Amino acid sequence: MSDIQTTLRTRAAELLSSGEVVEVIGWTAGRFDNQTTPAFITKAEDAESLVFNEYCVNTTSKFSLMERGLGKVAVCVRGCDSRGINRMITDNQLKREEVHLIGIPCTGMKDRKTGEELLKCRECSYRNPVVYDELIGESVTEPELNRFDAVEKLEAMDQAERAAFFDSVYERCIRCYACREVCPVCTCKSCFVDQLAAGWQGKRSNVAENKFYGLTRVFHVGDRCVECGECQRACPMDLPLMLLNRKMIKDLDLLFEAGEAGLDAEGTNPLGTYDVNDVEEFM
Amino acid sequence: MSVVNDSQAVGTKDGTGEFEPTILAFACHWCTYSGADLAGLNRMNYPANVRLLRVPCSGRVNPQYVISAFNKGCDGVLVCGCHPGDCHYVSGNYFAKRRLMAFKRLLEYSGMEPGRFQVRWISGSEAGKFRDTVIQVCADIKNLGPLQDREADALASISVADLQKGAEAAGASASSESAVAQAATANGNAEKAGE
Repeated sequence: MSDIQTTLRTRAAELLSSGEVVEVIGWTAGRFDNQTTPAFITKAEDAESLVFNEYCVNTTSKFSLMERGLGKVAVCVRGCDSRGINRMITDNQLKREEVHLIGIPCTGMKDRKTGEELLKCRECSYRNPVVYDELIGESVTEPELNRFDAVEKLEAMDQAERAAFFDSVYERCIRCYACREVCPVCTCKSCFVDQLAAGWQGKRSNVAENKFYGLTRVFHVGDRCVECGECQRACPMDLPLMLLNRKMIKDLDLLFEAGEAGLDAEGTNPLGTYDVNDVEEFM
Repeated sequence: MSVVNDSQAVGTKDGTGEFEPTILAFACHWCTYSGADLAGLNRMNYPANVRLLRVPCSGRVNPQYVISAFNKGCDGVLVCGCHPGDCHYVSGNYFAKRRLMAFKRLLEYSGMEPGRFQVRWISGSEAGKFRDTVIQVCADIKNLGPLQDREADALASISVADLQKGAEAAGASASSESAVAQAATANGNAEKAGE
């Protein structure tokens, strides 16, 4: 970890001083112990403040959109971040030449409060970046896991149990839209929840309205979700949002062989396209 | 705005009489709506529980409309369009098919009973199929009963006008309560008189 951090600082300083990039997006020490915060380094002498440890919980991919137009930006990417970058390129939000990707193999990040590995990292099956310009550190072995395990358990429950489960989830939702803000594929310039005149989203806070938001969010991002789990990590109410995202991913893969999003920049668009030979169930 | 007419909503909530579901049917202008028209021309009978909402294409049906319909008091939603390959806009129903297949699974996963949300392809000449579909969907929803959290959801979509109406209703019930109270005192008096 500390090797990665040292190399990262050196490389960031080199990239900035050579003028190859105008900014480096990474992490820096936060206000509290075991906490980091996203960092935007523009001067070579500030590169020393970059940090990489087991508490770098934020994904960096979404931040690269904020910095568009400044010039080429270097972004530190782990598996999750790199898939986000790929997906943003597929969605025409970003151009590959606009970013310089510093790949960092990841061994999982920890929760600041509990010291346990984050749920999003325990469920991660891409620890090595899938795309990068340079790689810092040794590649790590990818874990073998069934990421649909929890979804399958829920599917096996009966309808009333599931209804009660999701009602309890949406009872807790405070509609802060943090899940939308951090999501690398939630890139609409104008979101339906903000279009107050159109009145898509009601203002009340109750199960029905929260469910309306929640299901729409899942449906909007489900076919492009890169499974970084950042929505679930950012949720202040600890809602199991990936249970819904993964359901969409699982179904789309089963029905239309959608595969996994963000593995390459070409990508697929399972809900934005069709095939006349699609399975027919409605008749 | 509620798509449910008030008298009906009250009737179903009270449990007085048989449950009459409210079903919203999105009908594609080019096929299903013509099919429904043909059913009407042929004097075919089908349950009046279905409300037809004409859309240009089944591909126009945003899944949000479906959640909204359930939130605003519908017990069932039916989406109908042209058969795949017959779309007036060439590919609208192919997109709809993918989208709604995924959406139906998501809806059922999140706790909706299977059968509340259905999709059918009905062409302009299939008046009989339209009638049969409406009869069958209506029977399905009747079996399922009213949507579970209907009351909470109906409250969520209540408008200012509805609230005012609610206040009037509350006033009415208050007066009926006082009537009950009067009756009680009258009874009390009768009892006293009996003593």
